[in-house]
Amino acid sequence: MCLFLTETADSFNMDAYTQLTPNDLLQLLQSVWVTLYVTVIALAIGTILGILLGISRCSKNKILKYAPLIIIEPLRNSPLIVQLFLVYFGVPVLTGQVLPLYPAAIGTLALNTAAFMAVQVQTSILSIPRGQWEASLALGHSYASTYINVIAQQAIRILLPQAITLYISQLMCSSLVSLLGVMDLSRLAKFTATRTMQPFLIYGIISAVYFALAYPFTKLAKSLEKRISINL
Amino acid sequence: MILNFNFLPKYVGMILQGCEVTLILVVSCLVLGFGLGLVFALFRQSNSKFLRGFSSVWVNVLRNTPFLLQLFFFFYGLPQLGISTTPLVTSIIALSINSSAPNCEVIRSGLMSVKKGYYECAYSLGYSKFQTFVYFIIPISLRLSFKSLVNNFVNLALTSSVCYSTTLMEITGVAKTVVGRVSRPFEVYLLILILYCVFTYVISFISKAIDRKIHIVL
Repeated sequence: MCLFLTETADSFNMDAYTQLTPNDLLQLLQSVWVTLYVTVIALAIGTILGILLGISRCSKNKILKYAPLIIIEPLRNSPLIVQLFLVYFGVPVLTGQVLPLYPAAIGTLALNTAAFMAVQVQTSILSIPRGQWEASLALGHSYASTYINVIAQQAIRILLPQAITLYISQLMCSSLVSLLGVMDLSRLAKFTATRTMQPFLIYGIISAVYFALAYPFTKLAKSLEKRISINL
Repeated sequence: MILNFNFLPKYVGMILQGCEVTLILVVSCLVLGFGLGLVFALFRQSNSKFLRGFSSVWVNVLRNTPFLLQLFFFFYGLPQLGISTTPLVTSIIALSINSSAPNCEVIRSGLMSVKKGYYECAYSLGYSKFQTFVYFIIPISLRLSFKSLVNNFVNLALTSSVCYSTTLMEITGVAKTVVGRVSRPFEVYLLILILYCVFTYVISFISKAIDRKIHIVL
């Protein structure tokens, strides 16, 4: 601002603003860190919660089986963006408590992940044939032991490639938290592109960064699918 | 902790308009995205090395970059090329390109699960290669991949909410405007969330009815 006031129009050098500087690289690294931080924490919480919900969905108890649907169905059938707005802008007005930015963003992303995870866990547990249960119980395993030693080992093989695909799509979805004001990669892209007036270049670079983060995991999911798949 | 829906009668028209824009967006992206996906799936199966590589790069790039960035790429990039569009057109372009990638994967897996015998059968009946694809392989593979295609369609409907950031007045954009006027964010976003849920439930209900008709087992 001061620059604008003190310098005359002739001597004001527009290029200093529109060019990329080493500082931008620093900011890029910072925002990569923010994106990874938000995504990894959300995925960790979401995975644990999702596994619990998924196991609860497989139980024989009617309440345990159908209660998780109350959380899972709205989360799966509505856009993440609306959920984020609902939590970050809606809840404070209703309760009178201001939510901090990061917990709100991470919490919503985690819940969203948990809902998708729960369905994957449920389908992979249910795809284990009935005979495995019967064989294990007949051998004298307790119910918990059957789960841990027989069912989980096989279910994880089915679950893992799907889960990695889910993680990648959640990494892509984590760009939406920038709409709340988290200074992650997409927000940096928008700011820098506006400043330098080179949208193709900037969005290209940031997309390449996202690609570099996600592509190894895509490859991993593909190779895992081939390597650890089992014929049931 | 009291929900207050007093704003609703005044803004119902606006919300319905938003629904209309969302519907236009989703349906046109469904058609275009499906077409593009089919084309790229066929490229992926072709004998030409160039087409196969191109399609593989297309799918991988689209699946591994966020939709928000793709949208901004078109929204800010197209005017730089001298093409001026409306937000709706930009959103349709970006969203149909984005949804072509998962569609391509799904259709391709459908194509791959058609057994070799079907090709041989069609050839021996005297059909040309093109005819074989149009009359035999594509219908069978689409029937096989119908469920996953519907899944992608639901995803597309949910992703379309991101398009509000191109200032498009679809339902999420309308919600933002209404929130700005009545300052009841929780109620408005809750309403929008329920609307999306209803929409996706209707889609899956209809698709289940269709699936029962066209379901086949190879």
